[in-house]
Amino acid sequence: MKDMKELILPDGPRYAEDHEWAQIDGDVATIGVSDYAQDQLGDITYVELPAVGDIYKKGEEFGTLESTKAVSEVFMPISGEVVEVNEALGESPGLVNTDPYGEGWLVKVKMDDPSELDSLMAADEYGAMLEGGE
Amino acid sequence: MGAESYKTPLHDRHESHGADMVNFSGWRMPLWYPSGAVTEHRSVVTNVGMFDTSHMSVVMVQGPNAFELLQRCFTRDLRCCCGRDGVPLKPGRSVFGAFLSQAGETVDDSVVFQMTAENYMVVVNAGMGATIAGHLEAHKGAFLVKATDMTGQVGKIDLQGPMSAKVLQRVLKSPDEVLGNMRCFSFRGSLVEGSIGGDAGSIRGIPVIVSRTGFSGEFGFEIFVTPDRLAEVWESLLVGGEEFGLIPCGLAARDSLRTGAILPLSHQDMGPWPFINNPWDFALPFNHDRTGFTKDFVGEVVLGLRESADHTLPFVGRDPRKVEIHDPAVVVDSEGREIGVVLTCVADMAIGRHSDRIYSMGSPDKPEGFKPLGLSCGYVKVKSKLTRGEVVELRDHRRSIKVTIVDDIRPDRTARRPMGEMLQRKESLP
Repeated sequence: MKDMKELILPDGPRYAEDHEWAQIDGDVATIGVSDYAQDQLGDITYVELPAVGDIYKKGEEFGTLESTKAVSEVFMPISGEVVEVNEALGESPGLVNTDPYGEGWLVKVKMDDPSELDSLMAADEYGAMLEGGE
Repeated sequence: MGAESYKTPLHDRHESHGADMVNFSGWRMPLWYPSGAVTEHRSVVTNVGMFDTSHMSVVMVQGPNAFELLQRCFTRDLRCCCGRDGVPLKPGRSVFGAFLSQAGETVDDSVVFQMTAENYMVVVNAGMGATIAGHLEAHKGAFLVKATDMTGQVGKIDLQGPMSAKVLQRVLKSPDEVLGNMRCFSFRGSLVEGSIGGDAGSIRGIPVIVSRTGFSGEFGFEIFVTPDRLAEVWESLLVGGEEFGLIPCGLAARDSLRTGAILPLSHQDMGPWPFINNPWDFALPFNHDRTGFTKDFVGEVVLGLRESADHTLPFVGRDPRKVEIHDPAVVVDSEGREIGVVLTCVADMAIGRHSDRIYSMGSPDKPEGFKPLGLSCGYVKVKSKLTRGEVVELRDHRRSIKVTIVDDIRPDRTARRPMGEMLQRKESLP
């Protein structure tokens, strides 16, 4: 298990309380899980993702991350329509562990309401939340 | 956790090397090291891994009637339990079996090591030392024998994987003497300097017992050592094993490896129900046509429960997706009827399907470039026997998965390969 100071929390994405992140590019958000989440789960062995075209409200479950320890749901940090899923995770689910903010992304979503981003946390706020929860 | 958790002599080392620690049967144990449970599992199948198993309990059974007491309480008939020909247990040999209650239910499973005709080392599960010592004492009657719980007084390291013997060659004082022609379920050395095996079985002057047993299904050894010298032996093995890819492994890999090898976890796959109709009932003292037992023993009533008892059967899934056994997970047949429960469900990450066949990373004939995605597997306990190949559904609150009832899970395991072959083996299958 990583110490708090070992966790990587980049400044770019916005973070949700359930440990997902959203990185914005125009009206599309790339969604993944944080370094903290992948470290808690341990080795990811299977990723269940939605289909392109599926529509979710903020907070809805959109897939699962299967690890050697458990199965965990992942929740949409913002509302929108899935426009792309990370097909590489089918063959290489471990990318979520090795590169959670890069090649280990989960889905891309066309946002309904960019103002929802305001309810997500910046890296320092998310880090403070993790510290408080320890 | 807290003060009530026991710690092995390697606890601080596990923590300082970044292991993810969990509570297991009252012990604080590594779940995995930073390399992760998938890498650890695969390393044992293809090369070698090492586990701190000092949480397991040892009971010494000693005295003129030690043999008779074990005959009364242990499921194996010690007069004919070894090898294909059914020869008696003798010094230097060990055997797997179980201790049952009068009702024929599992108290614990165990490996019994015969040190001498009147001295046996009984290795039981974590937290079970006092229970089994008490069980043996309660059934000894007029026998002259003493069962002593040695919990915490014997350290153990499991060195598992095809390269295990090559690692031992690097660290044992007299490897040829210890390893030469060593068969499965035999052991050499002693924890006492100068007794059986002399000090041939020593590592840097530290007396050890080297036993060709384990809980992974792969070729390997259990190494017994006194707790005060455990850390030195651990470090020696790490250094000696470096060139063979040896990595420390945790309980998660241990659990997935043993499941794929059809080895039971006591108190999960066997428990307070009759010990029969399961993949491990070969440990009952059946006669040659399985109509009766060759001896009287505590729990022999199970024979009469064969018709009514549940059936425990292995299964394998289609991908690594699991169900959560504590959910609980139930078994549903093709007509939608609930027919039982899931006892164990893990993912064996060294196996995968290819053209309708399951291969292991250790399979000599595996397809070129074979990169398994892993398969869920485990055991179900159902009301009536299912046949091999039957497909059932396992269901928890989150999902249901289709699995196939099988006789065996991870193919081409190395546990029983001849010692000579393993000493010749090249490391790191591509």
